[in-house]
Amino acid sequence: MTPWTLPLLPVVAATLMFAVRRRDRGVALLGVGSLIAVLVSALWAAVTSPTAAWRWGGGLELTLAVDGFSRVMVVLIPVVALPVVAYAAATERRGRSRLLALLVAFVGAMQLLVLARDLLTLLVAWELVGAISWALIGHDWKARGNSQAAAHAFVTTRVGDLGLYLAAGLLFAGTGTFDLAAIAELDGARLHGVAAGVLVAAAAKSAQLPFAPWLFSAMAGPTPVSALLHSATLVSAGAYLLIQVAPTLTSVDWFAPTVAAVGLATALAGGVVAFTERHIKRALAGSTSAQYGLMFLAVGAGSVAAAGAQLVAHALFKALLFLSAGVAIHATGTARLDRMGLGRRLTWAAGLAGVGVLALAAVPPLGGAWSKEQIVAGAFASTRWLGATTVLIAFVTAAYASRLWLLAFGPERSYPGPQQPVVRPGRVEMVALGTLAGGSLLLGLLWVPGGAELVESLTGGSLAHGTLGGFVAAMTAIATAVGSVVWLHRRGRLVSPVGAELTRRSEGGWFGLPVAAGTLVTGPVLRTSRGLAAVDDRVIDAGVRAAAAIAAALSRTLARLAELTFATAVDGIAGGAIRLASLLRRRVEQAVDAAVAGTAAGTDLLAVVSRHLDDRAVDRTVETLAVRTGQLGRRSQGSQTGLSHHYYLYVTVGAGLLALVLAVLR
Amino acid sequence: MLTAAIFVPLAASIVLAFAKLDTDRPRTLLMLRSGATVAAAVPFLLLAIAWSRFEGTGGFELVEQVPWIPTLGIGYTVGVDGVSLPLATMSALLFTVAIVYPVDLRGRARAYFALFLFLEAASLGVFLALDLFLFFVFWDLSLVGMYFLIGVWGHGDAQRSALKFFIYTLAGSLALLLGIIGLFLATEPRTFDMATIIEQQPLAGGGLYATLVFVGLAIGFAVKTPLVPVHTWLPPAHVDAPGPASAVLAGVLLKMGTYGFLRIPMAMQPDTFARFAFPLGVLAVIAILYGALVALAQTDVKRLIAYTSINHMGYVILGLAAAGAAVGGQEAAQAVALTGATVEMVAHGFITGALFLISGSILARGQTYELDAYGGLASRAPVLTVFTAIAAFASLGLPGLAGFVAEFQIFTGTLAVFPWLAGLGLVGIVLTAALFLRMLQKLFLGPLPERWENWHDLGPVEIGALAVLLALTIIIGVAPAWLLDVIDSTVGPFVGR
Repeated sequence: MTPWTLPLLPVVAATLMFAVRRRDRGVALLGVGSLIAVLVSALWAAVTSPTAAWRWGGGLELTLAVDGFSRVMVVLIPVVALPVVAYAAATERRGRSRLLALLVAFVGAMQLLVLARDLLTLLVAWELVGAISWALIGHDWKARGNSQAAAHAFVTTRVGDLGLYLAAGLLFAGTGTFDLAAIAELDGARLHGVAAGVLVAAAAKSAQLPFAPWLFSAMAGPTPVSALLHSATLVSAGAYLLIQVAPTLTSVDWFAPTVAAVGLATALAGGVVAFTERHIKRALAGSTSAQYGLMFLAVGAGSVAAAGAQLVAHALFKALLFLSAGVAIHATGTARLDRMGLGRRLTWAAGLAGVGVLALAAVPPLGGAWSKEQIVAGAFASTRWLGATTVLIAFVTAAYASRLWLLAFGPERSYPGPQQPVVRPGRVEMVALGTLAGGSLLLGLLWVPGGAELVESLTGGSLAHGTLGGFVAAMTAIATAVGSVVWLHRRGRLVSPVGAELTRRSEGGWFGLPVAAGTLVTGPVLRTSRGLAAVDDRVIDAGVRAAAAIAAALSRTLARLAELTFATAVDGIAGGAIRLASLLRRRVEQAVDAAVAGTAAGTDLLAVVSRHLDDRAVDRTVETLAVRTGQLGRRSQGSQTGLSHHYYLYVTVGAGLLALVLAVLR
Repeated sequence: MLTAAIFVPLAASIVLAFAKLDTDRPRTLLMLRSGATVAAAVPFLLLAIAWSRFEGTGGFELVEQVPWIPTLGIGYTVGVDGVSLPLATMSALLFTVAIVYPVDLRGRARAYFALFLFLEAASLGVFLALDLFLFFVFWDLSLVGMYFLIGVWGHGDAQRSALKFFIYTLAGSLALLLGIIGLFLATEPRTFDMATIIEQQPLAGGGLYATLVFVGLAIGFAVKTPLVPVHTWLPPAHVDAPGPASAVLAGVLLKMGTYGFLRIPMAMQPDTFARFAFPLGVLAVIAILYGALVALAQTDVKRLIAYTSINHMGYVILGLAAAGAAVGGQEAAQAVALTGATVEMVAHGFITGALFLISGSILARGQTYELDAYGGLASRAPVLTVFTAIAAFASLGLPGLAGFVAEFQIFTGTLAVFPWLAGLGLVGIVLTAALFLRMLQKLFLGPLPERWENWHDLGPVEIGALAVLLALTIIIGVAPAWLLDVIDSTVGPFVGR
């Protein structure tokens, strides 16, 4: 089997789905069926590890392979996408077929991304994923704000894409190939350039600081879109890239510390954002940034294996949490956390969401806890203070995770007022939630001895040996966090915790970062753009217009001076030309006659005929030219008053001819 | 065969110019339109056959030569290499599509089609000519054809825009003429034959004379391309031209400038070109950023597309500058840059051709180019929306579409030669993304204004014509080997790989 099946099958299925978009059932069946086929192919590919290439010519080639960590990703993507697409099929009403087709196509693009073995293929997939996410986020396009949000998300992530352009070009300049493995052969400035490009690209896609706020814009999309984007696809691409490439960049001394610093900052800031947001999806989005921050931190600490495990665990529980959020929003008709408290009314949904929250909060024996223990261990193995910060992050994570669940799915409502009836989720929704929760629970098997070896063999990295001290510290932090949040909840101070004003300073949240980006980047660019447009209209063209005006004035003056003689001169020239033409014509005719007579005896008859034809043509041309010149002369007499641009033309041609003469006489 | 590609449309044009036709009758008009389309399509078929016979030896192929004015070394010589063949083929196809595209003929159908065919002949002549004199003759003839197309069938201040276009580019072509004559005077024996001059390398010594010749040529081509700051003829010409003429102006005529850079100074005085490669690259980056920034501020959809043309031609020049620079050991990257520049010329022809045709359809339905007048059209015109989206994403360089292949190659090649220039130019990619998404948003998304309740989607002819261009955009974007191999056959030897 060729690995091309994995990206192409969903794309073909999506095209078909779009073609039969009027049949609701058919579209849904096609979508789910194609994803099952992708899952089966992916499992097969993960075992057989096939490779493939597609030649573009001119030194460009797309190369794919299922090996290393991509074996995990190709399976993970359809595993997460299946319940999400089923959920979308069951819940979405507006533009359902388009949404499902785009979700399936998105799976194809993401498969291409994880299969890429060179920077060209990676960039192709990287940008395709971004473009489809634009269409997904702006799905409900009739509301103007949504397409603006989609554009914001796309443009921000495209800034990161430049990093990949940069990396690809520098890699080719240094090695003559785009092969990811060739990065290790680079040195000097180009190596640093590639490292910087990879970091920017990964940070932008994985919503790390300073790019993080685009994830808030991405909330304009329907909930299933968020569930897919935040879990196994789009956002995971950055962390995936680092997991793949970081081992080849070990010789760049600043790379690992910078990746760790970016991850650390985002994990803390994102955690605070998640803890203070009142909007359930935005709280989850903050959490997504923070969780990918943890993966960056793990990569920076040298543990790609822990980052890989965290990626898988996060994909499962974050998709689950977003779908749960969708259920909660659907049930109450609002996304405000303080209007939910659905625990007693949607017991099952609350329970399933609880599994996701426990995984997020890193409570053993869930898989999410295992991967975070590995990150803590890796960080402690790197430096002690980094280890200590991961414990702090564990505290923050557990705090916002438990706050989220208590407010949304806790047993008590946090606001007074009449109890509204809730909309219950259907069977498909519950099965989707159940599948993802089951996946999260299954991942708990990593705690079984042998789990570590499995992760190491799948990611190609090695795990640090955790210390008992680190484990106990993390567990204590988590327990304290949960305890404090429950205490705060009892006191009713959970909805607007301390520091909320700081992060929610503006509409965009994120400590006012979007506002800052607007002031520092978007605003100046737009102002420059408008300024240049004005300059273009008024200044640059003004030079040309001034030249034209001067030339026109000059030609008017000249015309007035020559007014008396001009007409006669033109008439004279025209008359002369006509006389010259008729003279020429007589001469040519005579010459032709003579020539024909002279050569008739000895020359090939054919040549004579052709020459005769030729000369007649020439003759006619000369005559026409003469007549036209005469007409032009007469016409130009009439043009002296209004059509000053004709004079300008004459002047230009004249100047040109003058220059020409000068050149000839050089 | 190449001669036929030039002279079939020319002959058809002459026949139409003198034919007595009652074009008020719909039947006659239909026949006229189909006849003109067939005549326009013949060169495309001939060039497709030429493509199948093209061997990729690296030199000129399928050469047809007739002595013309032997005493001056002028000959009628046409032929193709791996750069001109794709450009000529693209042009022939774009002309066919533009001629078939519905437009308001202002009751002068005969003249419209005659001029369009005349312009096609002249444009193909520029790309196929292998004689400097012949090249220049076709070059200037193309100005005449476009002048009348804008002036007569344009809208708004069409006369003024057409005249500005004509005089501006004529001034450019005077500089070009000086350069060509300078080049001619340096040859020994005197000749206008391109292949001979490339072999002779008459100005290999450099010096002031070589510089002056280069400057003359460069000014001529820079006006046509156009490079900032000699671009101001472009926006008014585009805005006031009818849609199909705009498509051809951007798709074919602008390419003459970039093709000229490649064909004449780069090939005939490579060491002088190499000395000016960096300044040219700087100008290119300015064009990229300036074009994109000014486009971002436009409120007029056609002006917006016109400025993105300046941006895209900047990419082409950047690729040429990188390919022509004198740096040792980066031949592979330079070949990539040059291939990319050529692919960009072809891709931009299809993509921007489609965008301008679409803008013509929008004007025909909405009577204005103002972006703010529109919105929400996606609900009334799904085909128009999807087509515009494909063209816009292709133009902003989305992978899977033709523009990406070109831009990726240009930046990859340039990063090896002028890393800082390439790095700056990359910003253009983000700006074009922003401006095209904004355009799509303003035209098609959001709520539908009441006045467009009865908006009609594209008609069958429009759909067919655009589908051809967009299909090629997708094919080049997904499987470009057939195109890249042809270009590479010339480009490889060119950069000494």
